Amino acid sequence: MQLWLIPILPLAGFVVNGIFGRRFSKSLVNAVAIGSVLLSFVWVLKTVLSLNAPVTEHYFTWIQSGTLRIGCDLSVDRLTAVMLLVVTGIGSLIHIYSIGYMAHEGGYYRFFAYLNLFMFFMLVLVLAANFLLLFVGWEGVGLCSYLLIGFYFDKQFATNAGNKAFIVNRIGDFGFSLAVFYIFKNFGSLDFATVFQQAPNAPVSILTTIGVLLMVGACGKSAQLPLYVWLPDAMAGPTPVSALIHAATMVTAGVYMTARSWPIYTHAPAAMEVIAVIGIATAFFAATIGLAQNDIKKVFAYSTVSQLGYMFVGVGCGAFSAGIYHLMTHAFFKALLFLGSGSVIHALSGEQDLRNMGGLRTKIPWTFGTMMCAGVAIAGIPPFAGFFSKDAILLAAYHRAPWMYWLGTITAGMTAFYVFRAMFLAFFGRYRGDRHAHESPPVMLVPLAILAALSLAGGFLFKVPAFLGAVFPPLEVEEDVTLMVISTAAGVIGIALAWLMYVAKPGMADSFAGSMKGLYTLVYNKYFVDELYDAAVVKPVVSGSRVVLWQGVDTGVIDGAVNGAGARARNIGGVLRRIQSGSIRSYATWVLLGSVLVIVAIGIAEGIR
Amino acid sequence: MSLLTVVLIGPLVGFLAALLIPRSLPQYSRAWALVISLTTFVDSLVLVGRFDRGQGGEQLGLDLQWITSPDIHFAISVNGVSLWLVLLSTFLTPLCVLISWHSIQNRVKEFYAFLLLLEFGLIGVFLAQDLFLFYVFWEVSLVPMYFLIGIWGHERRIYAAVKFFLYTMAGSVLMLTAIIYLYNRALTFSYPAILEMLTSGRLVFTAEEQILLFLAFFVAFAVKVPLFPLHTWLPDAHVEAPTAGSIMLASVMLKMGTYGILHFCLPLFPTASRNCAPWIAVLAIIGIIYGALVSMVQPNLKKLVAYSSVSHLGFVVLGIFSFTQIGLDGAVYQMLNHGISTGALFAFVGLLYERRHSLAIADYGGVATAAPWLSTAFLITTLASIGLPMLNNFVGEFLVLQGTAMANFTWAVWASLGVILSACYMLWMYQRVFYGEAGHEVRSHVFDLKLREWAVVIPLVAMMVWMGIYSQSFLAPVGKVTARVLEQTEVNVPFRVALPTHVEAANAR
Amino acid sequence: MPANFVSATDLIRFLPETILTIMGTVLMVLTPILNRRSSRVFGDLSLVGLAAALAGAIYAYSQPGPAFGGMLVVDGFATFFRVLVLVVGILTVLPSYRFLFRQDAETGEYHALLLFSIAGQCLMAASNDLIMVFIGLEISSIASYVLAGYLRDDKRANEASLKYFLLGSFATAFFLYGVALIYGSTGSINLTAVRAAISGQNAPSPMFIGLAAALMFVGLGFKVSAAPFQMWAPDVYQGAPTPVAAFLSAGPKAAAFAVLLRIFMTAFEPIGSGWEPVVWVSALLSMTIGNFAALLQSNVKRMLAYSSIAHAGYVLVAVTARSEIGTAAAMFYLAAYAFMNIGAFAAVSHLSGKGERYLSIDDFAGLGQKQPLTAAMLTIFMLSLIGVPLTGGFFGKFYIFKAALESHLVWLTVLGLLNSVVAAFYYLRILVMMYMHEPGDATSEAEPLSPGLRAALILPAVGTLFLGIFPAWVLDFAGRSSTLVK
Repeated sequence: MQLWLIPILPLAGFVVNGIFGRRFSKSLVNAVAIGSVLLSFVWVLKTVLSLNAPVTEHYFTWIQSGTLRIGCDLSVDRLTAVMLLVVTGIGSLIHIYSIGYMAHEGGYYRFFAYLNLFMFFMLVLVLAANFLLLFVGWEGVGLCSYLLIGFYFDKQFATNAGNKAFIVNRIGDFGFSLAVFYIFKNFGSLDFATVFQQAPNAPVSILTTIGVLLMVGACGKSAQLPLYVWLPDAMAGPTPVSALIHAATMVTAGVYMTARSWPIYTHAPAAMEVIAVIGIATAFFAATIGLAQNDIKKVFAYSTVSQLGYMFVGVGCGAFSAGIYHLMTHAFFKALLFLGSGSVIHALSGEQDLRNMGGLRTKIPWTFGTMMCAGVAIAGIPPFAGFFSKDAILLAAYHRAPWMYWLGTITAGMTAFYVFRAMFLAFFGRYRGDRHAHESPPVMLVPLAILAALSLAGGFLFKVPAFLGAVFPPLEVEEDVTLMVISTAAGVIGIALAWLMYVAKPGMADSFAGSMKGLYTLVYNKYFVDELYDAAVVKPVVSGSRVVLWQGVDTGVIDGAVNGAGARARNIGGVLRRIQSGSIRSYATWVLLGSVLVIVAIGIAEGIR
Repeated sequence: MSLLTVVLIGPLVGFLAALLIPRSLPQYSRAWALVISLTTFVDSLVLVGRFDRGQGGEQLGLDLQWITSPDIHFAISVNGVSLWLVLLSTFLTPLCVLISWHSIQNRVKEFYAFLLLLEFGLIGVFLAQDLFLFYVFWEVSLVPMYFLIGIWGHERRIYAAVKFFLYTMAGSVLMLTAIIYLYNRALTFSYPAILEMLTSGRLVFTAEEQILLFLAFFVAFAVKVPLFPLHTWLPDAHVEAPTAGSIMLASVMLKMGTYGILHFCLPLFPTASRNCAPWIAVLAIIGIIYGALVSMVQPNLKKLVAYSSVSHLGFVVLGIFSFTQIGLDGAVYQMLNHGISTGALFAFVGLLYERRHSLAIADYGGVATAAPWLSTAFLITTLASIGLPMLNNFVGEFLVLQGTAMANFTWAVWASLGVILSACYMLWMYQRVFYGEAGHEVRSHVFDLKLREWAVVIPLVAMMVWMGIYSQSFLAPVGKVTARVLEQTEVNVPFRVALPTHVEAANAR
Repeated sequence: MPANFVSATDLIRFLPETILTIMGTVLMVLTPILNRRSSRVFGDLSLVGLAAALAGAIYAYSQPGPAFGGMLVVDGFATFFRVLVLVVGILTVLPSYRFLFRQDAETGEYHALLLFSIAGQCLMAASNDLIMVFIGLEISSIASYVLAGYLRDDKRANEASLKYFLLGSFATAFFLYGVALIYGSTGSINLTAVRAAISGQNAPSPMFIGLAAALMFVGLGFKVSAAPFQMWAPDVYQGAPTPVAAFLSAGPKAAAFAVLLRIFMTAFEPIGSGWEPVVWVSALLSMTIGNFAALLQSNVKRMLAYSSIAHAGYVLVAVTARSEIGTAAAMFYLAAYAFMNIGAFAAVSHLSGKGERYLSIDDFAGLGQKQPLTAAMLTIFMLSLIGVPLTGGFFGKFYIFKAALESHLVWLTVLGLLNSVVAAFYYLRILVMMYMHEPGDATSEAEPLSPGLRAALILPAVGTLFLGIFPAWVLDFAGRSSTLVK
């Protein structure tokens, strides 16, 4: 099916723009960048429509050594199909949106080149037919994320965020790569087909180890506890990037990868337990932080972390399809929320602080309307997109362990609360800022509209679980209306509370915050996790390497020993020189002594015989 | 005249001729060096063409009597590993000539003469099949590098040059002792012949002999590698050396050590190598982590890259002593990768130095705005050296770690930490040098690549991509050799393995 | 002893010594006659004499065998050393032209003394009889005592020659006692006979033999400046005129080693296990003391003096091996050493300037820029002294330690080679000075190379490289002649 075309097209776009983009006109850059992505979207559609059985295509051998043989193989099945559609579909929309958003930014061609490169790696990631090729995409998207977070490279905070993202991800990749080594060590291959087909008869201990190590990787890429810290900072990048990479696609790679490895997990319950617990904990933890953020993008960033937590709960509870389902719907409404907030920021020419917004619904009605759709979707109000997927996950959670369900429901309530808090602060009340707000151009609004439609109807239009029924093992849990009602209620209550605190009685929020100062400061400062990491890990390592290893061991001990040996040699030389007094009498004495020694020595030697 | 001799002697002839060029005509010296190094490169490409990838033995051999008593031969031949190392040398020398075109202004004649002599020595080391000859080249390559550092280096160049010379010599005299000892036992310097005696059991070492001889060789090689804790000459040498010196030193000279371990230590002393493997692996792992951590806190660009080499070479040694096919292949591939990417790093650092005349990271910042293409090239190299997939180092590191994991998973776990750290120090450095606001100094002095510099950048970057995406074009012949080495180090049947192909060649003559 | 004491072949076998003595006398006679200005003649004449002697030595080898009733023997070994000392002589005369001119001290007796000393050394090389050895030793020594003090009005030179003389005679006394003891206990002074007496039936008490061996080792150890009898060398080399120092470090040393080898490898071979440990210790001491003491020297001549002590140590390693390969190695090494060391000294005397002002290592600063040729040659000598491959120095060391390892002297080998690393440090200092520092007064004032000096630099350099790249020729000859008549 010429799968290679799908990633190659964006790559071509990257190469062309990357090399000649500087000389191109903006429209030409657009043509290349967006054209390539749209083409690959079209090719994806064609592929998906003609897809009935899984297909694998081998192109060339990438690495071969002894028994190890890594092919450059791409494969597509229904799971891949969903990912492909999400990536290229949302990707195309965001590319188009960027035309408007980046219009006034420098490094225009560079931005689109990076975006194309990202598409390439993301598509390699989802199309890969073996773990190592998946790892290629995995690292590649990390790289693009690094480049795009640090897109404004003259800004210290941006490049810091970029480094942080890359390095934290590397910690995750540490786990991932160990998993890869361990897989090959035990299965003698890295091809999904071979490994998964052998998995059932492998000892549980091995599968558990692999599963946990893979999850470490997922924690990095998908910003789960304890490695989530990079994602909020990643908002330093341009907003379309936050939407595409840090909401819709890249950060979901971990979910995709764990879901892809279900044959390993289904036989390693312990590993699944780990996933579920990490997921639910992250969901709740991040949500609490989201409650108190004032930067509109930060709010949605923590919301993303929390929602990813949901997806992992799904996977961890064996509801793989539900996880992917939520992955898709989340892609719709979270992308929309980011693009929307991008539109807001664009409207207020760079303002991101909710406290300086308000009453914008009249000024930028389109943005307002579309974002509302996303709001109801993420709040899990039926029959909108978020409702179906979140419900499926919570249902599975309840059957795994009720406490997860309840925690999830509370989280759902908080989610609804902070999303609408942001909404109300931005669009209701009176305008608190001083900038002149203007609605965004159509090229930005059209993608918003499309995404809005998807957020509203995506849930029941695309019944992912049904579509993936063939891929994953079935999970028999009967629908439970009461649970459904409770979780929905949580969402409604959350919205109502937000309305009460930020529209009906403004100021109530502050008094509320004031009443529990300690907790508020703790949450407001994200539990001081960054500070903790900095003090516990970064500083000790750096100063330790400088003082102990470099100045201590290297310069002090080792080189000290080397130079010391030299000095000692000179000292010996000095002693010998002092013996060389220059006076004949002493020389004669020496000769005499020497000869006596010689005589005695030989004499003894001979005498013995 | 056999092709090998052409490749080997070319630079020597170039060196002798370069001595005759009057010092008043530096342009001629430069041009001559370029011509010679390029022709040698072309010759070596022909060599690659002639090379039969099908078999893992020594090929295209040449054997001439040199000295009658003791019986010393001028015996050279090439195998699937040395082939690439030779190519690496011939590939980098022209680039070194170009990179020094403007930066070397005094005593131009001597500089290029020494560069060619160095190339001769290095190629010889990789081709020699006679232990005495090997030692000769080993020492000969030392002298030109000593002068390159000592004459054209920076402030503390003399300290660095002498330290480099003595460090290496201290190691190599032990090797000389071992070589002579081997001769007295085997009555020949011919390496293939000695191997043949070992395999056929006509020459057997006691465990004690073997361990001592192994160490004698290994220490000499470990100094060159350099293996922690014998590495402290490296930072000084690199920082003080001129750009071309740093490139040749890092890219090729360090490989003399690892090549020696692979080519001599393992086949000659299988049992000893196996017994020492755990200790050496531990040292290698310490080197990986230690090098990375120390590199992270360096205020000086070249020192940072130098310590990163300590870390990278740790991977190579670890791979070799994993005693797995995958690990050995990875080690060899990593030698080549390190040659390309670290060579490139030094080259580009050199370009920065030519512009800003400083190696202190603190003096930079915002270069990306001033010189976008230079920054791009540097970024690609940075990514290569932190092992990003689709660039060369990834393949090597992956194979090494995979091989290590097969042998001992704990080692792999520790070594993998190095991969995290490499990202830390390289990206941090890149951020401080290229990102941020461009200061006045940078804006006024740092300009983008010029044509001559493009000629250096493009080949290097192209190699990184090629070796990262289509490793097969290089790995295939390597695998043949490493398989044979493994066969020779089969410890349960010490010296009773099938005769390697190159030995029949030795008997035939 | 045969009735007809002297035959024609005897005279042929005695040719070099004869030629040298005659030419020496001629020079003595000519000195007052010729006026000092036309003094180049002295040099030319002594060159002619040496060349003739060289030819003589080679011709003598065409009729090998004993002479004068076995007092002398002309074999490969003897010829090797005769040729060697004669070449040393030539290489000493070449730089002397310029040197003596600078010191305006050109006289015939300088050259005459040189020729006499060399004659003595030829005699030592060929003598197969302890008395002959002693005579040769004295001829050579007395001449060189005077040469060391040749520059009359130089106080250091006078002191040097006095020290050399006193200590030298002190040491020779030991040697003489040794000879007496041997004669007393074996009733013979012919080495072959002595050997037979020692190893044969009713051999004298080993105590006596051992004592004799010890005494002789002291005497010869002094001549080759082996520890612990090396004290005189630095002072003498530093004080003596540079060409003379060069000569002392190569000629007498080589001859003394020839005697040492001949006596200990023939007469005293049977009690080898007895003297081996002593030589072992002496070798190690010489190498260590020489190299370590040299580290701190700032005066080049003094540094080279210590280095020559160290190199004596290397040769003693070959002696310790107690094998024919060892003997051959020693012979080869002495040849290589003669080349590189004389070459180095020649460079020094070239640079030292009038009244030998510039003798500090720092004075070599920037020579590489000022006089590339001189620097290049000196580089070759230094690399050879370090023992870098493709130079005679390396191959010599290699061959010596190969012999040592064959005789299972593993530790001595390792220690010796590590010693050569230490040595590398101080030789490198000169390279550093020449190439890595800016020119100083010495190098700026240095006069262009005179033809004599040019030859005195290039010939040894060629020799050094030749011995390093094609050692086989010399090596084979040494190997063949290392079997001594027993």
